[in-house]
Amino acid sequence: MNNLILEVNDVAISFGGVRAVNGATLNVAVDSVTSVIGPNGAGKTTLFNLISGAIKPDSGTILFEGMEIQNLLPHKIADRGIIRTFQGAKVIKRLSVLENLMLGGQDNPGDSLLNFFNPKARNAYEARTRDRAMELLQQIGIERFAHEYAGILSGGQRKLLDLARALMANPIMLLLDEPFAGVNPTLVEKLLEVLQDLRTKHHLTFLLIEHDLETVMNISDRVIVMAEGRVIADGAPNSIYQNQAVIDAYLGTRKATS
Amino acid sequence: MNAIMQPGFWIFILTMSGIYGIFGLGLQVQYGVGGILNFGHVGMMALSSYTMAILVISHGINFWIAAATGVGVAALGGAFLGLTTLRLRGDYFAIVSIAFSEIVRYVIFNSDNITGGAQGSLAIPAIGEGYPSYTNAWDSIMNHMRDFLQPIFGDIVNREFVMALTIWSTLAVLLLIVSRIERTSWARVLRATREDDEVPAALGKNVFRFRLQAVIIGSILGGIAGIYWALESTLLSADDFLTIVTFYGWMILILGGATKVKGLPFAAIFFGFLYGGTRFFTFWPFSMVDSAQRAYIRIMIIGVVLIILMMKRPQGIFGKRQEMVLE
Ligand SMILES: Nc1ncnc2c1ncn2[C@@H]1O[C@H](COP(=O)(O)OP(=O)(O)O)[C@@H](O)[C@H]1O
Ligand SMILES: [Mg+2]
Repeated sequence: MNNLILEVNDVAISFGGVRAVNGATLNVAVDSVTSVIGPNGAGKTTLFNLISGAIKPDSGTILFEGMEIQNLLPHKIADRGIIRTFQGAKVIKRLSVLENLMLGGQDNPGDSLLNFFNPKARNAYEARTRDRAMELLQQIGIERFAHEYAGILSGGQRKLLDLARALMANPIMLLLDEPFAGVNPTLVEKLLEVLQDLRTKHHLTFLLIEHDLETVMNISDRVIVMAEGRVIADGAPNSIYQNQAVIDAYLGTRKATS
Repeated sequence: MNAIMQPGFWIFILTMSGIYGIFGLGLQVQYGVGGILNFGHVGMMALSSYTMAILVISHGINFWIAAATGVGVAALGGAFLGLTTLRLRGDYFAIVSIAFSEIVRYVIFNSDNITGGAQGSLAIPAIGEGYPSYTNAWDSIMNHMRDFLQPIFGDIVNREFVMALTIWSTLAVLLLIVSRIERTSWARVLRATREDDEVPAALGKNVFRFRLQAVIIGSILGGIAGIYWALESTLLSADDFLTIVTFYGWMILILGGATKVKGLPFAAIFFGFLYGGTRFFTFWPFSMVDSAQRAYIRIMIIGVVLIILMMKRPQGIFGKRQEMVLE
């Protein structure tokens, strides 16, 4: 048996004339932290949209735990355990912070109208989910906003909420789209601890898009570099630094812009 | 002016506000919780009332079974509308829903042999020598209730009084059920879909299912309102189900505060007053126009009230402003 949890094979999608992802192939090992880096417009977010089912590929296959998922609807993919966050963070502004988190609860009997007549099961689940949500809110330090509308949160706080909500959904694999951008450094430290803790306790697999190279090098088992819709390098963090294609496509542009 | 002094006037207003309150409650589930713009809600009223009337008059079916079937057909109408159109963007749903209710009305108007066509329920073919009425069973229930209540509450209790009481009891029960439903996690997911499809879907929620269920629940409520409408008016005509009726429901919804049910009964009474009261606007300046034109004044007043509300209090009289305007 292989230990790959996710296999993306030659996947492509274009929008009009733009080939956002253009034959990308990559895979992710169970229990690993894999980072995707690459310049803006490289197709990283589009790759996440493809894996999570938000958009369907023109061609190629995506396998999760050995099964094809590229034709499944997003909620079916989430049911299998792939949970994503959104670049720039998405919160439901007119639900409270706590309700946003509770939205992440899986197999909630209260989600079925038939269980309207089974308040016992509903209430028991709600109580458990609420406790779990409050615990997470404390961990990320925004419990004082629990009963406020999420729409009043700052950008950084929304990111935390988006991440915590994903954790509420009992993921097997987490797709995090720039989770640390715009979050203050001490909090990033703390988040990394939370994630590390989850990883050892629950055997979570992480695929994350991150711009800060230092963070990437510190936390990743593996780094995938994308440019112009393709994977141009893939390997251990330190090997990526020495890769000429990466220096040209990514590190080079970074130098040029800075 | 005299009419306003009569208890009958107020009972009429209560009856109308109760029926439209139930009708508006359907929109509350769909729009207030689910953000679904249904402008064809009156179609469900038409489906349930005509189904009930036809089953009773043409097929001699027991009133209760006929009424339940009518509500069931309204639910099916909602399911059909939802299954065909809910996957489209919200504004498309709004447009198609208007078309849906207009098609229902045209079909009723043009199916002479089944619905009585332009002549209304009086021309529904009756079985045997029967007179085309669908209210017999209901009338006898109302009369029994009247005979039971009259000794207790006195002469104010007549058929209309009992009708108003029944309708408001129904509204109270439905308000209770709906407010309970809106405290479940089902409603929480539906509230999330009001703002965004991607987030709930990424958390494993089948957004389409939640929306479809909301439309069906709303249609059942619209169907119940249709049955009461039929019983109150005793005659049905395709003209009872013009698109303007849908907007009566919208007015109640917006007036009461779309996101919560608690303002709805008060808004319904306010609407009932406008609806029933304007026909007694026989004094100056309304005396300058004839009665047919006065009917339009009612619609104009309702329109003006809606516009003022949208500008000054988008959250309605009782709603929470933040839940309407937060970006
Ligand atoms: N829904 C879309 N419609 C049209 N173009 C898109 C869409 N999504 C992404 N793109 C384009 O695809 C390319 C890759 O975008 P994206 O995946 O967001 O890049 P990254 O996340 O690596 O910065 C960009 O040129 C972007 O404009
Ligand atoms: Mg991106």
